[in-house]
Amino acid sequence: MTARFDIAIIGAGVVGCAIAREFSRYRLDTILIEARSDLGDGASKGNSAVLSTASDTPYGTLECRLVTRGHERYRREAPGLGLPIVTLGGLTVAWTEAEAATLTAMQRAAVAAGFHDAVLVDAASVYARAPHLARGVVAGMWEPEEAIVDPFSTPYAYALDAVANGVELRSASPVTAARPVDSGWALSLPTGEIEAGLVINCGGLRADAVDALGGNTDFRIRARRGQFLVFDKSARPLLDAILKPVPNPASRGILITPTVFGNILVGPTAEDIDDVDDWRVTPDGIAQLERAAETLLPALLDHEVTTTYCGLRPGTEQPEYRIIPRPERRWITVGGIRSTGLSGALGIAEHVAGLAFDGMIEAARKTDIVPVRVPSLLDDGPRPWHEAARLAADAAYGEIVCHCERVTLGEIRDALASPVPPRSLKALKRRTRVMFGRCQGFFCGARVQAMFDAATTSEAAE
Amino acid sequence: MTALAAAGLIVVGAGPAGLAAARAATDAGVARVLVIERDDEAGGLPRFCHHPGFGWEYSYRFESGPGFIRRLLGALDRDRVQVLTRTTALALRPGPEIDIVGPACGAVTLKPQAIVLATGIRERPRAARLVPGRRPERGVLTTGQLQQMVARGVPVAGRRAVVIGTEHVAFSVLLTARRAGLQIVAMVDERDRVMSFPLLGMAVRHALGVPIHLATRVLDISGESRVDTVTLNGPAGVRRIACDTVIFTGEFVPDAPLARAGGVALDPRTAGPAVDQLARTNLPGVFAAGNVLRAVESSGFCAIEGASAGAAAAAFVRRQTEWNGTAAPIGLGTNLLYMVPQRWAFEPARQLLPASLRTRIDLDRARVLLRHGDEIVWQSLRRSLLRQRRIRIDLAGLPAGLRGTPRVITVDAVT
Repeated sequence: MTARFDIAIIGAGVVGCAIAREFSRYRLDTILIEARSDLGDGASKGNSAVLSTASDTPYGTLECRLVTRGHERYRREAPGLGLPIVTLGGLTVAWTEAEAATLTAMQRAAVAAGFHDAVLVDAASVYARAPHLARGVVAGMWEPEEAIVDPFSTPYAYALDAVANGVELRSASPVTAARPVDSGWALSLPTGEIEAGLVINCGGLRADAVDALGGNTDFRIRARRGQFLVFDKSARPLLDAILKPVPNPASRGILITPTVFGNILVGPTAEDIDDVDDWRVTPDGIAQLERAAETLLPALLDHEVTTTYCGLRPGTEQPEYRIIPRPERRWITVGGIRSTGLSGALGIAEHVAGLAFDGMIEAARKTDIVPVRVPSLLDDGPRPWHEAARLAADAAYGEIVCHCERVTLGEIRDALASPVPPRSLKALKRRTRVMFGRCQGFFCGARVQAMFDAATTSEAAE
Repeated sequence: MTALAAAGLIVVGAGPAGLAAARAATDAGVARVLVIERDDEAGGLPRFCHHPGFGWEYSYRFESGPGFIRRLLGALDRDRVQVLTRTTALALRPGPEIDIVGPACGAVTLKPQAIVLATGIRERPRAARLVPGRRPERGVLTTGQLQQMVARGVPVAGRRAVVIGTEHVAFSVLLTARRAGLQIVAMVDERDRVMSFPLLGMAVRHALGVPIHLATRVLDISGESRVDTVTLNGPAGVRRIACDTVIFTGEFVPDAPLARAGGVALDPRTAGPAVDQLARTNLPGVFAAGNVLRAVESSGFCAIEGASAGAAAAAFVRRQTEWNGTAAPIGLGTNLLYMVPQRWAFEPARQLLPASLRTRIDLDRARVLLRHGDEIVWQSLRRSLLRQRRIRIDLAGLPAGLRGTPRVITVDAVT
C-alpha cells in the first residue's frame, strides 16, 4: 500500500529540517526526504558558521526579512535545543579612504533599515577589538549582535526535534519522479511511491531539478563555491571578533572568524561554477585564502592549518530567495537560499508554514511537544567528564577517544545510537567532531571507524 | 574507580620515552610513578609497527615495535609504577599540577613533584599540507591511521594505494600495506630525492617495480565515497593515477598542545618544548623527552632520552638537585636547523640528554663543532651531513669545564 503523507519536504538541509520541525508542531503526517545518506550534507555543510543579523543582506527583500526573523528565533530557540551561540560581534574593516566612505554609507543604510546597533568606530577601537589585525586600518563598523554558531548541530537539532515529534526522516532517498494525483503528488523513491498532499521543495543545490519534476522551471541554480581554511586551535587567541572586509558589488569578501569549535576560519572565496557537484578545494583558492590571512591577520600564518573545505551556495539568476507558493499545484518551492540558510532557516520555516496554512492545508497545533537537546560541541563548553555524577554512572564519558577534539567514547556511542543516526563517517564527524581536529584521524581514525562499522553492521543485521 | 597512589612523578605518554623514563625514575629511587596513556594500551606509535628495527640504540636487540614495547613494559617495577591507559592529561599548570581524566580514575587534579612530558609525535595529515581536491569519505590516510587499522583489524578495503613521502616511514608503509592487501602503485615526494636510505629507494623501484615520482606535487584528489584518482604534477608533466587509497607519510610534528597550553615554552625550530641538558622545560618540575622534543628520532633514541629525563626528574623528586632556572641558550650556527637540548645549565650533573641536531643543508666533509666560549670542546669530522640525518653529541663525555663555567656555548657545522 502506498504510504500517504500530508506534507513531503524534499531536501534535509538546514532549511528543510527547520521546515520539518515547524510542521512537527501540528497534527500532520510529514515526511522529510533526503537524497544523500545524511542530513545537512549539501549546501548546509560548508558555510562560515556566522549567525548573521541580516544587516548585510539587501534591505527590503524577503531574504532580509526572513534572516532578521530567523536570527531572532535562533536566539530564542537554539539554547533550548542545546545549540551554542557565541556573540562575538562583527567588525567590518576599511583599509582605504574610499572603503571608509563606503562603510559610512553602509552604516547609515543599516541604521535606516532598522539595524540600530551598527556603529562606526575609529582605527584605535578597531585595534582594541582585534589587536593582531594588520596595520593600516582606516575605520571600522561594529555590529555587536553578530554571533558564531554550530553549523553542523543546527540542522541535526532541527531534524532530531522533528523526528521526536512525529516526522519521518527518510535518507538516501532521491526523488526520481513526481506525478500529480487526486490528493496531491505521488513521489517516486528508491523504495517505491509515496503520496503527499503538499510538496515542499527544499532541494538546495538541486532545487531546480526537483522543481522540474513538478513541472516548474522558474529558475536555474547557479552554484557559487566558497573555499575555507581552518586554522589550528592554537591560533584562537589571535582573534575574538568576526572580521569582515568592506563588501564590493561582486562579493561580500573573505572574512576571518573564530568558530565555536575553537579554530580560526578564513573564507569564503566566491567562484561561480557550472557543476553543482564540484566540491574541490583548488590551489588558487588556497593561495587566495592564504593571501587574505597574511594581509589581514599575519600572525595566523605562524599556525598550522587544520583543514580546508568548500561550500557551495545555491544561488539563482536573482539575488533573492525564490520562495514560490503554488496553491493550485499543491507545491511550494523554497529555492535560492544562497548563503543565508543557517541564519534564515527558522524565519523561512515560519514563512513557509504561513504560506501552507494560507489555503493549502489545515491542521491543529499540538500541545504535547517532546523536547530534544543536542550535545554541546562548544570548544570551551561543559564536557561530559565535568559532571561527576554522569562520569561516575558511566565511565565511557571519561575515556577520550578523539584527542584533538576531546571526544569521549560515551559521546561517540550516544551519537551512533541517536534516533537520527549518522549514516556516514562524515556524518559521525559532524555530530561529534571526531577526526575533525589537527590530526585528522591519525590517532583515533581506526578506533572511530571500527565503532562506526560495528554500529552500522549491527543495525543492518536488525 | 582505581585508587591513585600519590605519585612523586607523573609521566604523560607510555611510548618508548615515557616507559624508559618510568623505569629510570624507579631505578633512581622514586617510590611511586604514575604513567598515563590516553590510548587503550601502552606503547605509543611502535605498538602498531610490526616490522623489526625498534629500540636498537637502547636495548641492542633486533625487535619489532610491539616487541620493544613488551621489553620496556616488562622492565617496569610494577610495585612502584602504575600505568593507567585510556587516561588523558587535560591541562598542565605551574606547580606542577595536572588535570587528568580516565574511565578508571575519573576527572582529578594531581600535584606530583615532577612531570615528564613524553607525548610523542603525529604525522601532518593531508589537510595541513594544503593538498587540493575533494575530501572523499574514505581512502585518505596517514601512515599512523593505516597502521592502526591493520593492527586493530579494521578493514582498509582498498586495493591500489599511492604513498606520499619517501622518509623511512614511507617504506614501512610498504610492509603494512602488504598486510592490508594494498598494492602500492606509486610513491611521490615534492623533494628531489628519496629522503630515506637511497638503497631503499632503489630496491623499491627495481625489485618491487614501484615508480617513485620525485619533485612531484599532488595537484588533486578526486572521489566521493572513496578516493578514485590522484593527479600529480612533476617533471614528467601532469599524470593521473587511478587508486582508491592515498597514504600521507612522514612530515612528523611534535604533539605538544598540552605543553603549549600549559605554558611550556616551545622552540619554534622544533615545535616541541625547549629543554636544557637535564630535559628541564621552563616550568619548574616539568621535564620533556622523546619525540615531543622534535620530530623525529628512532624509538631507541627516544628511550635513551626518556631514561635521561626520568633520572633527572628522579633527582629533582628526591631533592638531590635544585631547580636550576638559569640555563643559557645554546647558540646555533647558520648551517644548523635545530639542536636539542636548546639550553645549557652550568651545573654539575650526570644523566644528560644525548644532544641531537640537524643541519639545514647537506654538507660534504663537514666538521661539527661545539664551542665553550672560544674553546672547541667537541668536534667531529663527517664525510657527509644530510639534512634528514641526526647528528648526535654525547654530552656526558664533555670536559668538566662545561659543567661549571658560564660561557657562551655554540654549535656549528662547517666545511
